[in-house]
Amino acid sequence: MIFQKSSSRNIVENTEELPMNNSVVQHIDEVDTVVGPSVNVEGDFASEGNIIVKGTVSGSVHTSKHLLVEPGAKIMANVKAGSAQIAGEVKGNVKVKESVELTSTARVVGDIETKTLVMEAGALLYGKVVMPGLETNEGRTGRSSRSVGRRSEEPVNGEGLI
Amino acid sequence: MYVYLYDNFLRHKKFAPLIKAMEIRLTDYGIAGKILHLSNYIDTKPIIDEEIRRGAKTFVIVGDDKSFGHVLSRGATCECTFGFLPVGPDNTIADILGIPVGIEAVDVLAKRRKERLDIGWMNSRYFVSQLHVLPSKVEVTYDERFRVTSNGKMEVVVCNLQPFYWKKDKKDKEQHMVHPQDGKLEAFLRPLTKQGWWGYKYEEPSIFPFEEMEITGKEPFAVEADGKISKEVKVKIKLARNKIEMIVGRNRKF
Repeated sequence: MIFQKSSSRNIVENTEELPMNNSVVQHIDEVDTVVGPSVNVEGDFASEGNIIVKGTVSGSVHTSKHLLVEPGAKIMANVKAGSAQIAGEVKGNVKVKESVELTSTARVVGDIETKTLVMEAGALLYGKVVMPGLETNEGRTGRSSRSVGRRSEEPVNGEGLI
Repeated sequence: MYVYLYDNFLRHKKFAPLIKAMEIRLTDYGIAGKILHLSNYIDTKPIIDEEIRRGAKTFVIVGDDKSFGHVLSRGATCECTFGFLPVGPDNTIADILGIPVGIEAVDVLAKRRKERLDIGWMNSRYFVSQLHVLPSKVEVTYDERFRVTSNGKMEVVVCNLQPFYWKKDKKDKEQHMVHPQDGKLEAFLRPLTKQGWWGYKYEEPSIFPFEEMEITGKEPFAVEADGKISKEVKVKIKLARNKIEMIVGRNRKF
């Protein structure tokens, strides 16, 4: 059909400049895996390098390096990463070795386990936060708190309380 | 013993002076050998096997990117060393291998700096530089672990030796250097979405490094591997590690 012809004449290259902050640019230099905005990934998504998610991922996500979830991206999976910056939506538990940064557009439904958590004003989190380094009365390591639809304004690190 | 595999296009008289100069320099270095002219549709594997049986150890491809892909798509399984003398305008692989185009390539060949390179395997043949699936309704499964889909058509490019440029003009060019020895192939996926009444638009690409992937489509789709086009319904792509031994230059990009 003439309307469905995908000849090169009809195809427009996407040349729009995307607004990126410095941290994003910094991570892009060492990017290994990128999930684009119009693709869906299902299954055990694992990579040995950095991951940038701009589309939809369901199943599980695993990387030993950095995970960047861009605004508009959706992850419906449990996440394991070396470090993470979340600006999109995550439904699932997040287990990060080093630090998690939730930007103002982040929406996380699930528990977060990490050494350092940084939440920007406007970030939404529904779940338990577990951080190693504190002994509780229950005899287990870690400090946990439940934050329900909370809008945090100050950064939180492993030593502090939410 | 050296065997030189000349591409058919080198018969054109505009290449004659360069070829002659190369042959003289090869003789000076003492590495001149048998010359075989290849036609476009010839399978190189039996030719290489026959020459190996006769005692040849090094096969030198003389031509451009297409000649390089043509010889190695079948000949990659042969137990020998490959060299490359790039001639003509369509030479991008030579730069990655650190081999200058023209007569200086003979100097690189004479130095015999050898490296083993990874190559890709697709259904029943090898590809060296690039595999390209034109926009079609396909689904991609990586390492039998996760599946990538899009709502419409999708273009897939698998790179081994060559980087792939997504943007046309200089400002928008995104260069992803793919190292032939990094132990992975790299796949670029670009969904094609409808724009307005007439046109289509490429979305931002997705990039997945992998060792094994499968592209499946409900309808046959066109696959171009090293310049050779075929129609497939299912393509299994694997990485063949350290498959070929190649003479490379000092300025190689890996």
